[in-house]
Amino acid sequence: MTLMIHDALAATIMALLQTAGLLAAAPLLRAAIKKMKARLQNRQGPPLRQGYYDLAKLLRKEPIRSETASWVYVAGPRVYFAAAVAATTLVPVLFAAAPLEAAGGILLLVGTLALGRFALATAALDTGSPFGGMGASRDMTIAALAEPALMLGLFTSALAAGSLNLGALVRSVLQRGPSFHPSDLLAFAGLFIIVIAETGRIPVDNPATHLELTMIHEAMVLEYAGPDLALVEWTSALKELLYLTLLVDLFIPVGIATSAAPGAILVSLLAWAGKVFMLAIAVTLAESTNAKLRLFRVPELVSVSLGLAFLALAIRFL
Amino acid sequence: MRRGEWNRRMTPFDPAVGLLTALALRTGIIAVTLLAWRRSSVARSVAFLGSTIASVMTGLTAATVLRASSSVHGVLLMHRASGFSLSYTVDGLSAWFLIVLSVVAVPIALFSIGYVGHPHFARRSAFVGIVFNVLVGAVELVFAAADAITFLFAWELMTLTTAALVATEHEERVNRRAAYQYLVMSHVGTGCLMAGFLILAAASGSVSFSALLAGDLVSAPARDALFALFFLGFGVKAGVIPLHVWLPEAHPAAPTSISALMSGVLIKAGIYGLVRVCAFGLGTPRLSWGVFVVASGGLSAVLGVLYALMQHDLKRLLAYHSIENIGIILLGLGAGMMSLAYGRRDVASIGIVASLYHVLNHAVFKGLLFLGAGGVVMATGTRQIEQFGGLLRRMPWTGLFFLVGAMAISGLPPLNGFASEWLTFQAFLFGFRSSAEPLVHLLFPIGGALLALTTALAAACFVKAFGISFLALPRSRAAADAQESPAVMLVPQAFLAALCVGLGLFPGVVVRVLGGAMATLPGLQPQAAIAADSLGLALGLGSFDHVAPVVLGAAMLGGFAVATWVTMRAGAVVRRVPTWGCGGELTARTEYTATAFSKPLMMIFRAVYRPTREVEALAEVSPYFPREVRYRAEIEPTFERYVYGPLLRAVLRMAEGMKVLQAGSLHTYLAYVIVLVVTLVLMVWWRG
Repeated sequence: MTLMIHDALAATIMALLQTAGLLAAAPLLRAAIKKMKARLQNRQGPPLRQGYYDLAKLLRKEPIRSETASWVYVAGPRVYFAAAVAATTLVPVLFAAAPLEAAGGILLLVGTLALGRFALATAALDTGSPFGGMGASRDMTIAALAEPALMLGLFTSALAAGSLNLGALVRSVLQRGPSFHPSDLLAFAGLFIIVIAETGRIPVDNPATHLELTMIHEAMVLEYAGPDLALVEWTSALKELLYLTLLVDLFIPVGIATSAAPGAILVSLLAWAGKVFMLAIAVTLAESTNAKLRLFRVPELVSVSLGLAFLALAIRFL
Repeated sequence: MRRGEWNRRMTPFDPAVGLLTALALRTGIIAVTLLAWRRSSVARSVAFLGSTIASVMTGLTAATVLRASSSVHGVLLMHRASGFSLSYTVDGLSAWFLIVLSVVAVPIALFSIGYVGHPHFARRSAFVGIVFNVLVGAVELVFAAADAITFLFAWELMTLTTAALVATEHEERVNRRAAYQYLVMSHVGTGCLMAGFLILAAASGSVSFSALLAGDLVSAPARDALFALFFLGFGVKAGVIPLHVWLPEAHPAAPTSISALMSGVLIKAGIYGLVRVCAFGLGTPRLSWGVFVVASGGLSAVLGVLYALMQHDLKRLLAYHSIENIGIILLGLGAGMMSLAYGRRDVASIGIVASLYHVLNHAVFKGLLFLGAGGVVMATGTRQIEQFGGLLRRMPWTGLFFLVGAMAISGLPPLNGFASEWLTFQAFLFGFRSSAEPLVHLLFPIGGALLALTTALAAACFVKAFGISFLALPRSRAAADAQESPAVMLVPQAFLAALCVGLGLFPGVVVRVLGGAMATLPGLQPQAAIAADSLGLALGLGSFDHVAPVVLGAAMLGGFAVATWVTMRAGAVVRRVPTWGCGGELTARTEYTATAFSKPLMMIFRAVYRPTREVEALAEVSPYFPREVRYRAEIEPTFERYVYGPLLRAVLRMAEGMKVLQAGSLHTYLAYVIVLVVTLVLMVWWRG
């Protein structure tokens, strides 16, 4: 019994630390992508600190809400945040174990993120503004199309590792040692497309636009202001970091700490930051070299991803 | 007081007589209601309160059976001279379905006291109350029948009473048509069942289920034919695509509390039959059966939710979601059957547990959603989502409960829909790992991908259904004047909403209870595959995956608290301002509509929908400034048009041709009789 309480306490502390760390790092990732994108366009771009400044400014602003809106509008961003936070506790970051590994694995992770999306999309309909509805409709549409491809891609890795639990999955990949199977490449490519779609990047969505006909995520949160908006922005950044970490865990977990030795943790931290940065470069390149697709072309992109995931599964297990 | 005596007193009743007492009680209720026919409020209270008590008794009987892992047998009717008897057995599987029935029938009956009391139905209170009791009693008997005769009798009673309830508002032509269509299709199904049971009875020489469903009574090709017959018969009742066309007509036509019962439990009678007969009653399932069940489950799930997305009539939308959920149940069942065919009894248990769990979950959240819809329809007088809007302010409790139901049906953790869908995914992944044949092998991940698509589309559909109905500005006078339902209608919804949360947070408890039901299914080994404790579930076979929704729930509560703390600062006053209306005035007409919300999906899946769209602009000065734009979009009813249309025409043609036989001349009929007699005599002579 004492052991159980001890375990629970340790898990809670680890979850708190990891969540706090990821929440702190999340704005930096967005700012870094923005900066790299600006450099690619021969612009100076905002400084890396800008993400934090924006958040601080929004949090200090007067809370303004639509008079049409009900409690759903207020609860939306909070549930979105809570779901993303809960999702981060299911993902290993520095250690080859997720803090709340006892809660569940990949399926729970996908479900939890879906809960956040549901909450935000529902809240978007609450102000009566047509933009909210437009954004919610498009966001749910793309998410629905992306879901099977995401699941198939995750299944491929999970079945190869013999576990759907992310911690166990990482440990199994580490144990097997460096190995390469061509299916990894296909599965990675498929999941990368889904990550682009889920985080609202070009070519699926443009995070920098406020043009009514092309917005998706931005339309959904158009009516939010002040602290509510800060919460939405912060959560979206956290989700992006979470997705990139997930890719790192699934395909290149090398360097992750298997013990609590300070040296191992330091190596793990550097390795994780480096790998996420590499992926961020990939996201930037994808965003800078592509044009945004029309909404009705997105299904084609997603079906490419679905096809890749299915091929990966087929060549791995047939 | 001696201890033994105390124990006996505390036991509510002997489970052996629980079911009979409940049936007797229903008979009494019906008699009293008939006496009080003219005093509608008395009739209503007697009928529905009585039904609640009877359902509680049935539920307790079933719970006792499950806990003791025993079964209860009894005889309803016995004719000593011929040895003919109608008998019942409550074993684990029956008990599980009886629990599902009771859990939903109790809140529905309570809700009905308020709902049927509405002036719209008041005149028919006694009728609805009586038929409701007959119906619930018939369903209880379907789940408990121990021989084919009792089963078919109860099945037919269930069909007829449902049809009567569908036609409650028989003044409207649509409702009469729906009832008629339901009757015709159900009877084709019942015909298949009768044929199937007769073949089995001829082979076994008995009508009792224990002999009929012992398996391996007939040769392999005949087994396939039997499977097809039973799948057709039970599939019609379950609403499996393409046997579903009656469902979206009949479910909305009935009074909403009856729709809740139909969607929540009645279609599960089909699932009960499929589990009892097709999966476990015809011997070890063949691989092709499992493949067939998975395929029809995937088809029903995806097409069900796709059609639901295009419905803007709230009750029709919910009815199509029932088809989707039947599909999910079949996906689990089919995965289980495929594993049974491979001889992996441990893996098979995962699929069966998943489907039985989803049977309960769907009953709970669909019951909840229909009750909510009933309140809304009553308050606004319409079923069209486009006429609602802003209902959350006027009906806060109904809105909250509907939201819980919407999240549960979308498979979001930590609610109950997620738990059973999680198990269904596991059934596919384990099936994949344990199967050997390369091509069939790939069917498992495809099933998983279909399930993922279905869940995500359901979420999109319920963002629409809840958001457009309950949020923003009212879209019609009726929605603006809506009143919250009375407590007698809200409390049952609160109960079901609490169940959605509880059944999701503690899947381990549910699976342990299900263990009692699994024990009666021959040759399953749930213990080898699933470890359940009160916190969560773990799937064995090398600790493949586990889930403990309570832990996630705690993490989310923590996150929610932090989010609230971050956004709420001491002393900050929230300023309320009008929503920006793009420069114009923001009215309900500028809001996003349900049609607009689902349009991207209509365009993306146009191969399925084959929509016809018409845009008509009425311009006065210039075509660029139209005074009025009319938009009409319609999806093609594929199955109605291309499957049932030709079928119907063929039947009519045949009937036309057979007119020749029935010419109306007495001489001809006498000639038929003579020919028949001569033929029979010849046959007897030839045989003898």
